[in-house]
Amino acid sequence: MDRTLLIQELEKKLGQEKVISDKVDLMYYSYDSSFHARLNRFMPDVVVTPRSTEEVSEVMKLAYTHNIPVTPRGAGTGETCGSVAIQGGIVMDLSPWDTIEEVDVANMQVFVRPGVIHAKLNQRLAENGMFFPPDPGSSLMCTIGGMVANNASGLRAVKYGCTEQYILGLEVVLPNGEIIITGGMQSRAVKSVSGLNLTKLFVGSEGILGVITQIRLRVWPKPKGRGIVMAVYPSLDDAPASVLEVYKAGILPSGIEILDQSAIQAVNMYRAEINLPNAEAILLFEVDGNPASVEWEGLKIKEIASQRATQVEWATDPKRMADLWEGRSVVATAAARVRPDGSRVFAGEDISVPLSKVAETLREIRALGKKHHIKVVNYGHIGDGNVHTAPVIDPEQPQEVEAAQRLVDDIHRLAVRLGGTTTGEHGVGAVRAMYAELEHGAAVKIMRSIKQTLDPKGIMNPGKVFGPEEE
Amino acid sequence: MFKDTPVVREQIKKCVRCGKCRSVCPIFQVYQTENYSPSGQVFLVQMLRDGELEVSEKVAAKASDCLMCESCSSTCPSGIPVPELVAAARAYIGEQRPSAGKDLIFGKLWTNPRLLRKAVAAAGLADSLGFRNIARALGMTSILPGDLPQAEKILGKIPRASARTRIKTVSPAKGTRKTRVAYFLGCGTDLLQPKVALATVEVLNHLGCEVVVSPNLKCCGVPHLANGQKKIAEELVQHNVNILHKLGVDAVISDCASCTSTLKGHLYKDWLKVKVFDLSVFIVEVLGIPSEIRALPHPLTVTYHDPCHLVKAQKIKDQPRQLLKSIPGVELKEMAGADTCCGGSGTFGLTHYEVSMKILEAKINNIRQTEAQAVATCCPSCITQLSYGLRESGLNYPVLHPIQLLHQGLYKR
Ligand SMILES: Cc1cc2nc3c(=O)[nH]c(=O)nc-3n(C[C@H](O)[C@H](O)[C@H](O)COP(=O)(O)OP(=O)(O)OC[C@H]3O[C@@H](n4cnc5c(N)ncnc54)[C@H](O)[C@@H]3O)c2cc1C
Ligand code: SF4
Ligand code: SF4
Repeated sequence: MDRTLLIQELEKKLGQEKVISDKVDLMYYSYDSSFHARLNRFMPDVVVTPRSTEEVSEVMKLAYTHNIPVTPRGAGTGETCGSVAIQGGIVMDLSPWDTIEEVDVANMQVFVRPGVIHAKLNQRLAENGMFFPPDPGSSLMCTIGGMVANNASGLRAVKYGCTEQYILGLEVVLPNGEIIITGGMQSRAVKSVSGLNLTKLFVGSEGILGVITQIRLRVWPKPKGRGIVMAVYPSLDDAPASVLEVYKAGILPSGIEILDQSAIQAVNMYRAEINLPNAEAILLFEVDGNPASVEWEGLKIKEIASQRATQVEWATDPKRMADLWEGRSVVATAAARVRPDGSRVFAGEDISVPLSKVAETLREIRALGKKHHIKVVNYGHIGDGNVHTAPVIDPEQPQEVEAAQRLVDDIHRLAVRLGGTTTGEHGVGAVRAMYAELEHGAAVKIMRSIKQTLDPKGIMNPGKVFGPEEE
Repeated sequence: MFKDTPVVREQIKKCVRCGKCRSVCPIFQVYQTENYSPSGQVFLVQMLRDGELEVSEKVAAKASDCLMCESCSSTCPSGIPVPELVAAARAYIGEQRPSAGKDLIFGKLWTNPRLLRKAVAAAGLADSLGFRNIARALGMTSILPGDLPQAEKILGKIPRASARTRIKTVSPAKGTRKTRVAYFLGCGTDLLQPKVALATVEVLNHLGCEVVVSPNLKCCGVPHLANGQKKIAEELVQHNVNILHKLGVDAVISDCASCTSTLKGHLYKDWLKVKVFDLSVFIVEVLGIPSEIRALPHPLTVTYHDPCHLVKAQKIKDQPRQLLKSIPGVELKEMAGADTCCGGSGTFGLTHYEVSMKILEAKINNIRQTEAQAVATCCPSCITQLSYGLRESGLNYPVLHPIQLLHQGLYKR
């Protein structure tokens, strides 16, 4: 279908104000936060911002009839080029559709539209003493729709798991425009084993199977107490060992985060008041629950960590806790600060390895950085083996870009070799699709056939998750 | 050259497009799409720099979608000075298309009399003020065409007395002279809020300051920078620095958040050798809050609005509040989102009336909920914008600079 005609049709269906078609305006949709999008210009033909299930369905029907690719998009904070139209077509920006439809306090669940921002949802839930536990570093900007599509998790996954554990049901518009509800059409049950679990199929589907238009989310009572233990290690190897020792003592913290030396430096450069001690590694153990158990667990962790750490701080002051947690949350971006003429790039940034291999992984990544002459900043959710590596390069220097690409490939292969995965939470998108066979072997065939069944014309977010079948 | 400007060369690549800035940008809050975001502004500058985009009317309009409020830069984990990048782009656009600024003002605004009337009312500019004064207040004189027939016709031209005409060049300290300071009388205060200026001088005198108001000082340059007139801004900097250095003062004080943030910021950094203070900081931290403040005749509940150029650009938050709390009879009641932008910001309300009003609406709602009797803030542009918003919503609160309340506490019975 001719672009001008497509735009006209969309404007007829949605109204002009929900269609973005000016070439300059479209440019802003050529990227997400991935390195891949920085290196390429993936221009959509048109962007739409629907605000109802019917509007989404109308767009899908049009696209389906005319074979036009559709890429759903939340806030574009993904790091995999997932929300970028690498084959052109329509980008469907769902982030303005940010209504919290219902907070069902009695049944401990909420109904939200895809564009609701994670932090805003939790602000609203806090009014009722509840919370949605997954806590991505991008909380202030990412959408619940994007979290569901990527099965995001974050700083508290070690105790509370990933988004999927909280999704009771979804409303999904399929590629042909049909609307379905998973998890029971009328259901407000908080558990159900009825039927094949389609909810789980769509969670983490990265926009390749359909558009998520409503989410029924399980929420939890918000714990009354919280505290953070900060432990400072002279040697990087000691940090993972300390984590295992805390587990052995029968404690499951709500978060265990690591910052290596460069990450510590980046946080201090971001905001000097956070004032982290200089060291090879810092661990932040967060505990939550009832105040008495928080106190007990916090002090116990302090005792255990002290065996290896040179300095241990037990913080319950809200201001100090907020500072420490903020430091950890911003390091993803603040990593850029360690090199005045450089920037961190989001690539090879999300491997997850077995707990027993974390120390080895960190050592190997450091060695790989040296091999490729690239400074790497490491941080991440060490409690579940999820290591975030930030290569810090000058992205405007072609040799550095090439070296970074080699480093990233090495990191991904390292993860698989050590029995881990190329991505713990950020997803595959366009940037890790080439490892699908390496990680999943024959299972990829089944994935492809599921995709084929739901999206026979291949219009939903093409080029993501797995590459085209090899001839 | 634009491409070689340090900020353009070094900062763009540091943007990882994490989107944290979206969460605080007042313009993004209204439109909610990436083409109205700080991260988008950084990308626009990059595309211009790399020649992937040519200057056009559309590009000029996109670069104009920014209040220069620094909400983004003060939260960006990479520390990217987005407004500085936008200013660089506007300057470049101005060079490439000298008419771009005018196109925006005259094309988008002056051709729409309905919008113009509303925008001018919002900017606190009575029709009788005269266009030349409006232009001066907004620092636009230099970017407007010579005779302005169109605008003058619409607005009439009766001038009004500004603060400058009522303040002496040197006002002596009351009692022993503690210090000699230059009062940087900004265009906004001078023309739109002359009462603030009079209160500032009198209170400073009262607290032992000899106050110099040089008649030769010109606009600080920020409106020019914001409107793509970088060269003029730089000329203004040199002019003002020369004068300030000759005044033999210990400090430069201003009651205008935008002026102090400009005087402390990158434009003046390498040139100005005299220390610059926001008025409330100078009173609270240097002069000391006077002990002889009398109670206001009637108790007054006041809510305080943080100007972006104070709280974000200069991280000044406590001192104006301390000043307010020191006045017996004033009860300070915080509003939700005290530090969110009011949408005013110099010429922005004129060129982007509708979005400016949407931003303002949220602010007014927050003010309303405090049930305060007055609003205080430290920026003439915010005072004007908030007064307009309150009037339009049928609320009768006065909007005052804290110095006016202090002045009352010192002088009124
Ligand atoms: C600084 C920073 C920190 C981060 N920290 C974490 C972290 O701690 N944990 C974590 O898991 N992730 C993290 N991320 C990654 C990212 O924020 C998450 O993956 C997030 O869930 C993406 O949400 P989004 O709204 O930005 O989605 P987008 O990036 O816009 O989209 C992501 C994917 O979801 C699809 N999609 C979006 N909305 C829909 C919908 N309604 N229906 C169908 N498909 C849809 C898109 O097509 C795309 O494939 C971080 C990112 C940044 C920049
Ligand atoms: S400007 Fe800063 S906060 Fe905004 S996207 Fe870029 S790095 Fe993130
Ligand atoms: S300066 Fe203000 S208006 Fe401009 S991009 Fe930043 S937050 Fe938005």
